[in-house]
Amino acid sequence: MRPGHWLFTIPLRLRSLFRRAQADQEVDDELRDHLERKTEEYVSQGMTQEGAHRRARIDLDGIEQTKEKCRDTRRVNWIQDFMQDLHFGLRILRKSPGFTTVAVLTLTLGIGATTAIFSIVNAVLLRPLAIEDSTRVVLLQEWWKGSAGDVSVGNFKDIQKQSRSYAEISCSNNASFNLETQGIPERVDGEIATFNYFATFRVQPIAGRVFTADEDTAGHARVVVISERLWRTNLHADPSIVGQPIRINGLPTTVVGVMPKSFDPLLSNSNLWVPAAFTLAQLADHDDHYLNVMARIKPGVVMAQAQSELDVIAQRLQQQYPLDDADRGFRIQPLANALLGDQRLSLHMMLAAVGFLLLIACANIGNLQLARSRTRQKEIALRAALGASPSRIVWQLLAENVVLGLAGGVVGVLLAYWAVSWIVGHGPAEMPRLDQSRIDASTLVFACVVALLSSFLFGLAPALRSASTRINEAFKSASGIVGGSRDRVRSLLVVGEVALALVLMVGAGLLIRSALLVSHVDPGFDTSNVVVGRIGLPDAGYHDPVIARQTFERMITIADALPGVESAAVVSRAPLAGGGSSNGLLAEGKPLDLANLVNSQLQIVSPSYLSTARVPLKAGRNFTPQDTRERTFVAIVNETLAHTMWPGENPIGKRFACCEPGPKGRMDPVWHEVVGEVADVRAQGLDRQVQPAFYIPLAQMPPSAWDWIGRTMDLVVRTRGGVIPVHELQATVTSVAPAVPIYRLSTMQQKISSTLERSHFDTFLLAIFAATALLLSSVGIYGVLSYMVVQRTRDIGIRMALGASRGQIVWDVLGFGARLAAIGLTIGLAGAFAGTRLLSSLLYEVRPTDAITFAAVSLILLVVALIASYLPARRATRVDPIVALRYE
Amino acid sequence: MSKPSDLVQGTLDMLLLKILALEPMNGFAVSQRLKQVSGDILQVSDGSLYPALHKLEQEGWITAEWKTSEYGRRAKYYSLTRVGRRQLEKEADNWGRLSSAISRVIKLKEA
Repeated sequence: MRPGHWLFTIPLRLRSLFRRAQADQEVDDELRDHLERKTEEYVSQGMTQEGAHRRARIDLDGIEQTKEKCRDTRRVNWIQDFMQDLHFGLRILRKSPGFTTVAVLTLTLGIGATTAIFSIVNAVLLRPLAIEDSTRVVLLQEWWKGSAGDVSVGNFKDIQKQSRSYAEISCSNNASFNLETQGIPERVDGEIATFNYFATFRVQPIAGRVFTADEDTAGHARVVVISERLWRTNLHADPSIVGQPIRINGLPTTVVGVMPKSFDPLLSNSNLWVPAAFTLAQLADHDDHYLNVMARIKPGVVMAQAQSELDVIAQRLQQQYPLDDADRGFRIQPLANALLGDQRLSLHMMLAAVGFLLLIACANIGNLQLARSRTRQKEIALRAALGASPSRIVWQLLAENVVLGLAGGVVGVLLAYWAVSWIVGHGPAEMPRLDQSRIDASTLVFACVVALLSSFLFGLAPALRSASTRINEAFKSASGIVGGSRDRVRSLLVVGEVALALVLMVGAGLLIRSALLVSHVDPGFDTSNVVVGRIGLPDAGYHDPVIARQTFERMITIADALPGVESAAVVSRAPLAGGGSSNGLLAEGKPLDLANLVNSQLQIVSPSYLSTARVPLKAGRNFTPQDTRERTFVAIVNETLAHTMWPGENPIGKRFACCEPGPKGRMDPVWHEVVGEVADVRAQGLDRQVQPAFYIPLAQMPPSAWDWIGRTMDLVVRTRGGVIPVHELQATVTSVAPAVPIYRLSTMQQKISSTLERSHFDTFLLAIFAATALLLSSVGIYGVLSYMVVQRTRDIGIRMALGASRGQIVWDVLGFGARLAAIGLTIGLAGAFAGTRLLSSLLYEVRPTDAITFAAVSLILLVVALIASYLPARRATRVDPIVALRYE
Repeated sequence: MSKPSDLVQGTLDMLLLKILALEPMNGFAVSQRLKQVSGDILQVSDGSLYPALHKLEQEGWITAEWKTSEYGRRAKYYSLTRVGRRQLEKEADNWGRLSSAISRVIKLKEA
């Protein structure tokens, strides 16, 4: 039929589908009319009324059959038939509950896991950011010595003035604030942002307004924009909040607007925004790099154009500010990439892992189906004999699989719901947008597609095979000979499963090994019984550096005196506690050149820090209370810094310049003398490389350093064991600095765990997938071998009757199982070899082709495969030869 | 009555279309007319007639209308569609070529 013609017949076919009853009635009427006419014809030829009527009916060859034939021609067929097939499929499945349960469970695992992981990947990676036209929003960073960094205020202003590619270019800096509601101080995260920050993202506030350009100038009255979350939890969703003051950092600040719940453009969980209000001094500063810069590209401008414009501006700035901007460039990238980029690898790995799991599940069901189709051959042959066309039979078998697929899909989605909520509850805190994972419409569609696809995958081969069976072949009694090609397919499927399972196990094994190695890394100090909490003094009342220092020193004294506390200290950023600032150091004797600056982590510490944290002193001495600003500036370096600046030499007594300009200006170096060297501390994380770091005493810190650290320091307390003295520490802080909270209070062990949270989570999930894959594959091996034993019962019986020992039979079966496993193993190993290099960035000190892992995993797989083969082998030996010989 | 010659399904379709090309009529009349016009040689059994007609209707080559017949009952009247007419022409052409080919073979002189 020509396509156009087919279209024309659709209304007819649709009518037949929906008005079946009416159509049936019409056929009835038509045939009755025909009968009457025929009868009259016969009557007119001379027959009696009765005789004519009977004759007419005989002529019609049986009314019901004719009606059936008419109905057949009207078949809209594949829909009606398919519904019938589904119904029939359901009945057949109910009849073999064992098979159905196993199949549905297997499918549930596969589909459930895939859907769960997909919804996570969807929420974290795929869903666009909640910003209008987010593809045009970019993150702008400085690029120095091969790595990206934050932008200085001076550079930001210059770029803003000189670039033409952006509709809006704004910046922000992450900061924490002390918020006081109803007298209780709390630390909240927020951002200091320029007024056009909100315009860059084009999101409207749900109440009030955003900053005006006026409010973003130095000296203006304090205003703040708050988040919906803050409004709801701290301010009880007060409808008249706009225009009301709240206390931030001890000062009353007017709320001018509330941003909607979905507004979190930098995924930093910011709760409030205050105007940046840069001072003239800040605007001229090209040296401190701490701003996040976001821009919206103008319509019609391509990213490449914007980037090349930036390169030109970079050249100009390098010449204008040779000291600060030498060798500095700028890079832009889409905001989504910047925020989500490093989630990609592990999430893709998860997706691949569940994909493998699903394939294994389908292979298992395929095997089950192949086994069943053998036993159902007689039934199928009978149907063929009764007139079913091969296509009809295939459709019916496929319908069965669709029922299975949908059943597995429905239960699988339920499993996915549970899995997603578990993952959201226990997943790593640092994964952005994880809490937005939902089973939504797109995941449901995905699950359906996966379910139906799997049904076809594992149903098609057996269905086609069955339908092409010749009828008389099927009716011949099944001989004891194993059907060649069918069993080959089953063996192939099992080999494939084993290979996939091995790849998963290798991946999991590598991650586990990596995690074990990381947990044995020496952090560099004694992490037991250490409690760390962060304290941020507000600018109001603590602006004077002397007052700030004295405040912290008083806190140390009081904390030290608490019962249960062995010693206390402060450090600008405790190891593994997050954050940190760095400075460039110039060794004495080296000419002033950017290339000679060694970038090092700065730690400002009280003299009690090294003993409280128990960081081993390798050479020289600790700071004393005599190290004040009137005396020589001293510093302690870590081993890495010593090796970097003075390789092979004793660092004690050497000097370097850093951190503050001398009385004569920026080029006048201020020298610090090295008085001690300490062991390396893994401050960035147990699995991260140690950076060069230097310590300066609290009493000697440059006044501007208080700004670098935001007047915030970590209180480190070594307890005598037992519970964290939360209330006592809070009281300590409050007694010295009222309305200032201590936050992020936890043990050092907890901080270590949270840095490892992410990799532990990945490892845990992958291990579960690998274990499930192993289980499913061993079930597959067991299935194939059991089936083989049943098929060969006659053979085995004959051989035993002829004198073969039980041991030989067991050996045979085991041998077959071992062969299957070995082939799968080899293929899997090859695949793993090739594929695991993708994981190398997730591994710590473990090569992706680590021999120990590969060997251990292969061994586990072989053992499990052998166990799975042993059970059917044992069953084979229980065959009674007499029974076997009679077995049909 | 002599046994009617076996009619292949495709030929039956063509004949029914032709009969309906003459004028619209109901199923009974079609079989009567066919019998009459072919001199009783071509007879279609009642059991095959209606399925064939319904198939033609499904294909869209004939269309049906329910009218009150001369007996005062509802009866179904079929008529040829434009597409059906084209199909008829096509099949008639094929038949022509087939039958002349067969004739040529049959008329071959035996040695």
